[in-house]
Amino acid sequence: MDEATNNVAEKNEKSMKAALYKTVWRWHFYAGIIFAPFLIILAVTGSIYLFKPQIEQVIYKDYYEVNPQGEKISASAQIEEVKRLHPDAVVTQYRLGESEDRSSEVGIISNDESLTVFIDPYTGKSLGELNNDDRIMDRIEEFHGELMAGTIGDRIVELAACWAIVLIVTGLFLWFPRKKKDLSGVLFPRLTKGKKIFRRDMHAVPAFWITAGMLFLIMTGLPWSGLWGSQFQTIVTNTGEGYPPSVWIGNAPTSNVKTKEIADVPWAAENLEVPKSEVEGYVPISIDDVVDVANRVGMHPSYTVIFPNGKEGVFTLSAFPPKAQDEATIHIDQYSGAVLADYRYDNYGVMGKIIAWGITLHKGTQFGLINQLISLAICLGIIFVVVSGFYLWWKRKPKHSLGAPKAISMKKMKLFLLLMIGLGILFPLVGLSLIVVFLVDWLIIKRIPKVRMFFNA
Amino acid sequence: MHKKKMIWMFLFIVVLSGCSLKPDVAKLYKEESPLQSEIIIPNTFSANEKETIKVILTQNGERVEGADFVHFEIWKQDGTVTYYMEEAYDLGNGVYGISKDFDSEGLYFVKVHAGNNGSIIVPQKQFVVGELSESELDFLQKGQQSQIEGHEHHH
Repeated sequence: MDEATNNVAEKNEKSMKAALYKTVWRWHFYAGIIFAPFLIILAVTGSIYLFKPQIEQVIYKDYYEVNPQGEKISASAQIEEVKRLHPDAVVTQYRLGESEDRSSEVGIISNDESLTVFIDPYTGKSLGELNNDDRIMDRIEEFHGELMAGTIGDRIVELAACWAIVLIVTGLFLWFPRKKKDLSGVLFPRLTKGKKIFRRDMHAVPAFWITAGMLFLIMTGLPWSGLWGSQFQTIVTNTGEGYPPSVWIGNAPTSNVKTKEIADVPWAAENLEVPKSEVEGYVPISIDDVVDVANRVGMHPSYTVIFPNGKEGVFTLSAFPPKAQDEATIHIDQYSGAVLADYRYDNYGVMGKIIAWGITLHKGTQFGLINQLISLAICLGIIFVVVSGFYLWWKRKPKHSLGAPKAISMKKMKLFLLLMIGLGILFPLVGLSLIVVFLVDWLIIKRIPKVRMFFNA
Repeated sequence: MHKKKMIWMFLFIVVLSGCSLKPDVAKLYKEESPLQSEIIIPNTFSANEKETIKVILTQNGERVEGADFVHFEIWKQDGTVTYYMEEAYDLGNGVYGISKDFDSEGLYFVKVHAGNNGSIIVPQKQFVVGELSESELDFLQKGQQSQIEGHEHHH
């Protein structure tokens, strides 16, 4: 090879590298601007929700704390009291309270509202009730999980989380040191190289430091998402290595009795001549029997009893305490009290165990305060990086355009294109949004010169 | 080019519409073998004669012979008749029974306590001897919780 061809090759390679850098930067730029607000929302609501146990302990103190005195009265007597207070209510849940000085809770639906009635198990009297719609931490969770916008919100959060992965991948590429062996501007910021470099370093360096934590929060949060999460859980459960069915997805078993053998409630009040066959039959076991089963099989004391939904439904004992290893889901036949399924953490498949740990770590409960503080640090880091990224752009943004890096034809970026398609398949919402981006680009941006200028396309 | 796009669209639709759980997926995880019972109440009750209430126990689709324990408990709703928990006779072939007097008319309950091979059940059945009194009918109308519909559970 003579020197001339060598030079051309080198030049070619250099321009290819520059083009790739610009392309990655462009994607990082647009994804960052579009998803910055959502990432801020997720980090802020997440920071607050992390401390749910402490916050609720303070604001609901009067509902939670009771004075232990003598024997607790039976669950059925407690529920009787709730029925006396709310004659038309349907009881949906019962929670005993995990300690001696904790009240029990009865969940009811009354006039289409979900209420929780707190009962002192020693006196059997109500301590007060909360409308579940008024529980501030539940609203924050709803904001965190679906922006208080139902399914659409859930999809937006999932999209933001998936695109945050794209931001991490592209960001790491841009951050990756190219020339020098010096670690300033890589692992720690350069403080004396002028404002522009300082601004860049205040985004890129902290971003690198929180990358692992951020990726962890995204990957542990995604399994709860409505679209990707359900698909993922379904696939994993189907392999036998995930959560057993009904713990996350899938139906509980059904109570084992033929409908015609169940005792009906006679409604014809005036008519004493009720057909015997209507009245005779199996009746659901009492809540006290359910509590007996829970004690016999050994549930974590924080469990909740979920009442059967319909004639074929089951009583479900559900415990999702702070530590993943203590989780349990047990289904009980509502007519016989037979344990139909008993799924503990030990019965989860390998992936199920990993997801369970991911969830308790994500919620900050697995290791208590230290877990909460680490997660809080990651959230604050995310907020800082989003804000500094935004500021970085704002400072160098020209007046009449977005200041986006120049677009390079995708046909020259086969590898990058392939990577994006790969991500698009792994995360279908990313794929879908990519299709939308390409359509908008092709139908609008490329055809209207002013718009084209604005986006630097 | 068009064909390629069509293939991509098809792939995305497949991924988006997704898959569902296998119907027998529970078999891949820990399984229980719950006892099943059928409580048999006599069709007619005659005065001054003992009547036998029976229960047929099955587990894993087979009759349970020599169950670990089978006890019966019978009481009348108005509290005038109570037969405390008592061991049942083994009538063979998975059938267990108890014989009692049912001379007083009205609403009765029978509760079976049975256990075998790790599964314990407490099924309860209500039945009527003769005619119901007005207070019993009133109890039946008020006593049971109306069916729960449309609530989901989250965690």
